[in-house]
Amino acid sequence: MAISEIKKNAGTKSGILDRSKPPKSGKPKDVNFPKFFETKSSNGITALVIQDKRLPLVTSRFVFKSGAYLDHFMGESKCGLGSLTSEILTKGTESRNASMIAEEIDFLGAGLTSGCSYDATFVSSYSLKKYFDEVFDIMTDVILNPAFHEEELERSSDQRMNSLLSMIDDGDYLADKIFNRHVYWDSPYSYPIEGERASLKNITTGDLRNFYKKVFSPENLIVAFVGDISPDEALQKLENNFSEWNNNYTKADEIILPEFNKTPRVFLTDKKGAVQSSLKIGHLGIKRNNPDFITLSVMNTMLGGYFTSRINKNLREVNGYTYGARSVFSCYRYSGDFSVTTEVKTDITSETNKEILKELNEIKNKFVGKEELQNVKNYISGNFPMQLETPNDIASKAISLKLHGLEDDYYNTYIRKVNEITKEDIKEVAEKYLHTDRLIYSISGKSDDLKDKMQQFGEVEITEDIF
Amino acid sequence: MSTNQLAEKIKYDIPSIEFKEHTLDNGLRIVMSKFGNIPIVALNTTFHTGSKDEDNDKTGMAHLLEHLMFEGSPNVPRGQFDEILTKNGGDSNAYTTRDSTSYFISVPSNHIETAMWLDSDRIYGFGITEESLEIQKDVILEEKLLYVDNSPYGSLEEVSSKKLFGESPYGWSVIGDMDDLRRIRIQDLKEFFEKQYTPGNTVISVVGDIDYDKTLKLLDKYYGSIKSGKDFLKNKFANDEIDSEITEDIYDNVHLEGKFIFYKLPETGTKDYYAMNLLNAVLSDGDSSRFFNEIEYKSGLVNEIDSSVFGMECSSIFNITAIAMKGKSLEEIEEKIDMIIDDVKSGNISDREFSKVRNRLETYFSSKRQSVISIADKFSYLKLFYNDCSRINFEILDYMSLSKSDLTETANKYLNKNQRLVLNYLPNKS
Repeated sequence: MAISEIKKNAGTKSGILDRSKPPKSGKPKDVNFPKFFETKSSNGITALVIQDKRLPLVTSRFVFKSGAYLDHFMGESKCGLGSLTSEILTKGTESRNASMIAEEIDFLGAGLTSGCSYDATFVSSYSLKKYFDEVFDIMTDVILNPAFHEEELERSSDQRMNSLLSMIDDGDYLADKIFNRHVYWDSPYSYPIEGERASLKNITTGDLRNFYKKVFSPENLIVAFVGDISPDEALQKLENNFSEWNNNYTKADEIILPEFNKTPRVFLTDKKGAVQSSLKIGHLGIKRNNPDFITLSVMNTMLGGYFTSRINKNLREVNGYTYGARSVFSCYRYSGDFSVTTEVKTDITSETNKEILKELNEIKNKFVGKEELQNVKNYISGNFPMQLETPNDIASKAISLKLHGLEDDYYNTYIRKVNEITKEDIKEVAEKYLHTDRLIYSISGKSDDLKDKMQQFGEVEITEDIF
Repeated sequence: MSTNQLAEKIKYDIPSIEFKEHTLDNGLRIVMSKFGNIPIVALNTTFHTGSKDEDNDKTGMAHLLEHLMFEGSPNVPRGQFDEILTKNGGDSNAYTTRDSTSYFISVPSNHIETAMWLDSDRIYGFGITEESLEIQKDVILEEKLLYVDNSPYGSLEEVSSKKLFGESPYGWSVIGDMDDLRRIRIQDLKEFFEKQYTPGNTVISVVGDIDYDKTLKLLDKYYGSIKSGKDFLKNKFANDEIDSEITEDIYDNVHLEGKFIFYKLPETGTKDYYAMNLLNAVLSDGDSSRFFNEIEYKSGLVNEIDSSVFGMECSSIFNITAIAMKGKSLEEIEEKIDMIIDDVKSGNISDREFSKVRNRLETYFSSKRQSVISIADKFSYLKLFYNDCSRINFEILDYMSLSKSDLTETANKYLNKNQRLVLNYLPNKS
């Protein structure tokens, strides 16, 4: 190779540059979580303002503190209800139909979106500051006076049924859906937010109104104003449009917790013509406000949370089995799960399972190296400011503080807490929260080719009913 | 920038982004921009090298080289690039298109020198080993299985490239042919690297928490000693027009039928290119747009409909994607699409509709560039393809100066049935 040759010629204006060692770095700058304004409106709405005048834009984000978790409590087979309710909310009010709302919002160059997760239901809008008044009035109308027209429900359900059909062409979706079904067996988180064929047929406009009444109330609401708007302006807008809104139908959630499976299980879901297996392997995890959350997320980052993690390095960089592999703790208000996901060729599915098991056992049984731990701490600390780049990034974090009842100084002490974690702490949470003897292997691909080889990992069951 | 244009821009109240430009002695072009309020810097290195610069029997080479650029260089052993970067709080990634290859790093500003050391070393010399090559070939085979072979409608790029561009260098997909990929040897990559990854063929953009003088000194220190390389003529090719409609049925593992229509357009940055972008907003931007409102909302024919303009250096593409509702016919969907296109061709765009897309553009230009990574990417693109970084602040005028009749004229020039490709995706029979 010609490298030595090139080196000889490597002169710069200041002489020969020694490229053999990494340069020294300067002192890091301090990063604090930016201060934001917080208050309560006269009727109990939590209002946050993240003011930033650099761009002439205003976003308002309405976040109601309940979501698709409630579907389970709204009657027999109602999953998809929260998600349909939030979707249809913007499809008509007492004085505007869906086309009028779309036309007005589009004309103002604005955006209006709505949706729900298990733990929250949201409606958001953004626009240039000069159109904020008009946009906020439309937003107010859809939140206070939704019509829930019969034909809009029919249209949305019909669309949703078709989306479900197209989603089953996606191996990752299948693996994910069957994983949730069995990890959270028969508890609210086991049902898909988007709904299922039977439940979608079963939802009526009466159900939408019931869900709306239960979720959409001032006490249950966090509003974040973001961008070129002052706390005074924001509060005044909120009081003007929402102070007369009273609705006390929101009640404390009933809680049904999933039970941990006792033995490892394998669930295969056939995907027609599959050339890869989609894997999702894991078990129950923790709820979001578990005090071990930060330690666990540092452990998980090392295990499978970033590019140089153990699992990605093993499966991609050493073995070339996959384009990518990752692990994650998904945490909800009342429960959560741990999973490893990846996509590999059918004939190396067993080997992949074994390598994943090996990595889980390794981090449970052996202390992580000093340098490896320091590297991940540096990565998390250095990367943290990237999560605070835009005012909407900051708003997302401020909202999550309120939504999950975390301490106000959570993000200010976050980096310090990360840096205090020891190798003993990592081993302790790995032992406590990773359970290699009770894994659920959800695999979508060629079931016929897989079923015999999967026996070694646990009792094998083939999913017949995808919906 | 003329005073007139400046005055015009003030009307739109869009904050400007500042920048400085420089060219190193070896020909490497540099754009720097102090931006934002977090201590992070984005470093974007873009080579004017994409899949169109490959030989037609070694397709996939540019993308393979992109993967391998993370796998070791003269002073950074295999596995150390990401290791060193992440332990300094940084992140990196890269992408390859038909025309270019971009590498980007984000890093806390106190580690910018480390980022430059890592990035420059892999341009400075070739350090890829046989072992890395074989593993990354496997990784790319899995990437292809994931995004093409195992993905619904996944063969679209490959099929449409071939049909639209035939034997020309846009005629193959970026990921390439897997038989070609298997055949590529270290020597092939080394030759490609030495020809293509030269300072004269490169733009570097540095955006974020920077000091201009210090940054320029560092850039000169790390990149200034890279040898210039031979000049060569860039592979720009003339584009054959389609003269009669091409249609093809494709059977795939899908539950919903899909219709995909492609029209060829002139290259990125031309007036017609901007006009088609604005027309595209009339057709598919927002729930009140023509396609969404008439074909999805009112007629219930599709589960999904969208259209977009894909800009490239030698030709652009306008494509329409429609996924049918179960039981609805692709013919009926095509008829509806054609009715809408005929309508805009006849000049039937209302003043309100025209104001609407202009309003939407104004919001778009005010809001889109908030992250250092995307701004750095945009600067490299503007410098490389337009040699004009000021477009970061003034590109809105390329849209706002267009009239309704420009849109109609453009539609009549390009959106004709005999100039298009229509692909119908149908469920596999089994």
